[in-house]
Amino acid sequence: MKKTSPRRTLPMTAVGIVLLALMLFPVYWMVNVSLQGGGMAASSSFFPLSPDFSGYEKALSQQTGNLLTSIVVALGTVLVTLVISTPAAYALAQFRLRGGAFVQFALLIAQMIPGIVIANSLYALFNNLRLVNTIPGLILADSTHAVPFAILIMTAFMRAIPPSLVEAARVDGAGHFRAFWSIIVPVSRNSIITAALFSFLFAWSDFIFALTLTSSNTVKPITLGIYDYLEGNVQSWGPVLATAVMASLPAIVLLVVAQRYIAAGALGGSVK
Amino acid sequence: MKKITLASGALAATAALALAGCAGGTPSEPVDRGDITLTITDTLSETSAPVYQEVYDACAAEIGIAGVEATHVAGSGHIAKLLQQIASRDLPDVVMIDNPDVQQIASSGALSPLTEYGIDTADFPEGVIAAGSYDGELYGVAPMVNSLGLIYNVELLEAAGVEVPTTWDELREAAQALTQGSTYGIAFSAANSFEGTWQFLPWMWSNGGNEDDLTSPEVVGALEFVTSLVQDGSASASVVGWSQNDVTDQFIAGNAAMMINGPWNLPRLTSAEGLEFEITTIPVPNAGDDVVAPLGGETFTVPVNEDSAVQEAAGAFVACLAQDEHQITMAAGRGGVPSSPSAGAAAIEANPYIAAFVDTVATARARTGLLGEAWPDAATKIYTAVQIALTGQQSPEAALEQVAG
Amino acid sequence: MSAVAEARTGTVRASRPRGGGRVRESVARWLFLAPAVAYILIFFGYPVVQNVVMSFQDYTTRTFFTGEAPWVGFANYAEVIGSYVFGTALSNTALFTLGSIVGQFVIGLLFALFFHRRFPLSNVLRSLLLLPWLIPIIAGTSVWKWILDQDGGVANQLLGAFGIPAVPWLSSPDVALIAVIIVNIWIGIPFNTTLLYSGLQGIPEELYEAAALDGATGWKAFWHITWPSLRPVVTVVLVLGVIYTLKVLEVILGLTGGGPANATATLATESYFRSFREFQFGEGAAVSNILILFSLVFAVIYLRANRKQVDE
Repeated sequence: MKKTSPRRTLPMTAVGIVLLALMLFPVYWMVNVSLQGGGMAASSSFFPLSPDFSGYEKALSQQTGNLLTSIVVALGTVLVTLVISTPAAYALAQFRLRGGAFVQFALLIAQMIPGIVIANSLYALFNNLRLVNTIPGLILADSTHAVPFAILIMTAFMRAIPPSLVEAARVDGAGHFRAFWSIIVPVSRNSIITAALFSFLFAWSDFIFALTLTSSNTVKPITLGIYDYLEGNVQSWGPVLATAVMASLPAIVLLVVAQRYIAAGALGGSVK
Repeated sequence: MKKITLASGALAATAALALAGCAGGTPSEPVDRGDITLTITDTLSETSAPVYQEVYDACAAEIGIAGVEATHVAGSGHIAKLLQQIASRDLPDVVMIDNPDVQQIASSGALSPLTEYGIDTADFPEGVIAAGSYDGELYGVAPMVNSLGLIYNVELLEAAGVEVPTTWDELREAAQALTQGSTYGIAFSAANSFEGTWQFLPWMWSNGGNEDDLTSPEVVGALEFVTSLVQDGSASASVVGWSQNDVTDQFIAGNAAMMINGPWNLPRLTSAEGLEFEITTIPVPNAGDDVVAPLGGETFTVPVNEDSAVQEAAGAFVACLAQDEHQITMAAGRGGVPSSPSAGAAAIEANPYIAAFVDTVATARARTGLLGEAWPDAATKIYTAVQIALTGQQSPEAALEQVAG
Repeated sequence: MSAVAEARTGTVRASRPRGGGRVRESVARWLFLAPAVAYILIFFGYPVVQNVVMSFQDYTTRTFFTGEAPWVGFANYAEVIGSYVFGTALSNTALFTLGSIVGQFVIGLLFALFFHRRFPLSNVLRSLLLLPWLIPIIAGTSVWKWILDQDGGVANQLLGAFGIPAVPWLSSPDVALIAVIIVNIWIGIPFNTTLLYSGLQGIPEELYEAAALDGATGWKAFWHITWPSLRPVVTVVLVLGVIYTLKVLEVILGLTGGGPANATATLATESYFRSFREFQFGEGAAVSNILILFSLVFAVIYLRANRKQVDE
């Protein structure tokens, strides 16, 4: 990474802030309208001079449980996805397996399938397995968003790992799994974190499985909770937008923390 | 929910048989159906749910069951979920279905006819019965219905010296006179969805048009009229993207002097500061014509249940919901019209604003009344044609020819 | 070929086990892949097969209850392809995908290059850039709808301040597709930026330093070092980008519902409408299979072309 003196780079910070401001204007507008009751969405002023927090009061009192559900499900998805995908990516990247290319292609095709198609099949399956309305069920389902992507991304990055690293360990008598756990995983740390990040985000923003696989108020991700305020003819945008803001906050915090790791480089650049 | 043993099930069944012998829906003596908890799925928002919960609890007590468990589903995903549950034979005991969808769901075979539950619908308007019927049987009953009317801003009309329009010509002139500055004369929804179709139906039906012949002169005439409103500049071109909720936003913000909308807006309209509004029936093509508006409102249905005692309880529950007093509660709390005319008078007393809607509902027409299961296809054609004409892509006649084609 | 290069392009070739040991070795390797393969078969295999079968059946609401779905062969496909909306949906899908990918990729790359250098707050800013992707879609599209409203929207107000007449963003069939593409680009930039940024970070600094010694900086450095090194990441970003964009549904539904007058109707919206508005699930499945086919063709073509380039 280029390291230049702070004085040289402050203009970049300024430019960065301007660019972000442009990109995030709609986000500002969302917060703005959410503080003006949402009901007058047709003619909100530029700045909420007398903020109306009723939407936030509602969101906070009704959606915190759902927020927690979303966090648990998303974190669970990360775990399941990494457990399934990391070994698979390693195998596809480093072992010359017959059918490996076919598996990769299948992963691409898997991502082409519209969510509702998968949801319909899963509902029948989960119903028989009594996984409907459960957090593990949601975790398994949301992983469909994440697993193919995680495998593809980590495979791409793991390809750059020199086989000599593993060979050395194997020659010393280490089994496949030992080599994988002790060498590959630490070396791929940054690509694993990238995959984890996207898995979290995919699960966090899932709606179709939240809708299909839950039918109670106990297990209800926040993407579904937001619809509590939307009815056929009447939509209360104030609470909707407040919930949206509330839903975005934990994720952003997590991302700021995780970005530090992605910054260090995910492609085999960390292998020196 | 199947929480009762065979023994009490038999008891409940006997009680039900005894009840079925009674005329009307109101049991004259307290009944105990045992420890049943009915599962209900509805599409209510967080604001409307408490209103209905009151009624649910009252009816649960009335029919003598342990209670109800209500789940609220996002409207947009409701049908998808219903179908999944139908496939898995996993439906709740009572399901709320929007009236135009009843025929589709009933055609699957998953619903039970409501005739066995002693629901007294002799009073109900024809449109209400037609909406909930399939193949000659009643499958869904709507305790609360709604329709469309012309809602106008009293101050703006007075300021412009405009009289309340009652015919299409008057409406067109009034809309033009009221279009000043950043205010449009009229606002309505012509969105790319069944909401757009719904809003076009009063014009189409009042003019004598029918959905099974979209190229007839009556339908063309109706579309020409609506198009003229946008062409005159009396209605914003954005109507092709507005939902009815957006239309209300515009009206409350003062961007539109009149709007075509429904009674569900009343809670919002009455609480809007400084807004003086009145409601009248939608103007008709010629003086003396009858307004024929579409019938809205959700029905309650009883899916076929493997536990006959639960199914019977569900039926009694729905019958209870359909009683006048509960109709009034729902209508008042949510902004709607009770289905039975006898309850209408009491409702108007409580809320004079719905008078125009009560009149309209009496002659309102069910969307699936004519075409049944084939309605969605026609509905799609209608909103597509409206959009093509309103965006000026083709003349109203050509637009209708294209979609009918 | 040098030993290093051989090692880098080779695979793990541990000491060759003999006889039964080779089988055990093979099994051990497949065990790494087994959970993923099982997961794919269960969660993707069955749905995709079911979807293909459904497209050849007359699948209605009744089918959900009775399970009966008469075989109709290619009738659904004929109906779908022959409808007057299909051509429009097809061209809209192509334009929407092309416009979105180009916009997201280029802007995403520019952002990634911008953030490539360390400067104060770069981490925070880079994380905030993810917000468009994070916000629940229903909220995001509704906000954009208000911003782009022809009469009272902020966009036209800002344009008006510069003397530009109001643009009928979402109410004119001529402009609506552009508006929808703009919003989709906005939503897709974070995804592209994050991945391309990761890719950039993996390019060894020494390569740039060596090139600088030869006088190759700026644009030359980008063309000869950055771009080729980014190739694998670019492949993933573009292929996945196309696959995801072809599936986009809620964004369009939230903004225009496919209108006005089918100006923003895509194959994805058509599939949804046929299934959930008209209850013709066989036709809806047919459209979504056509969509999957396009995804497939693109993936195959692109990967083939890419492999050729890598070999050169």
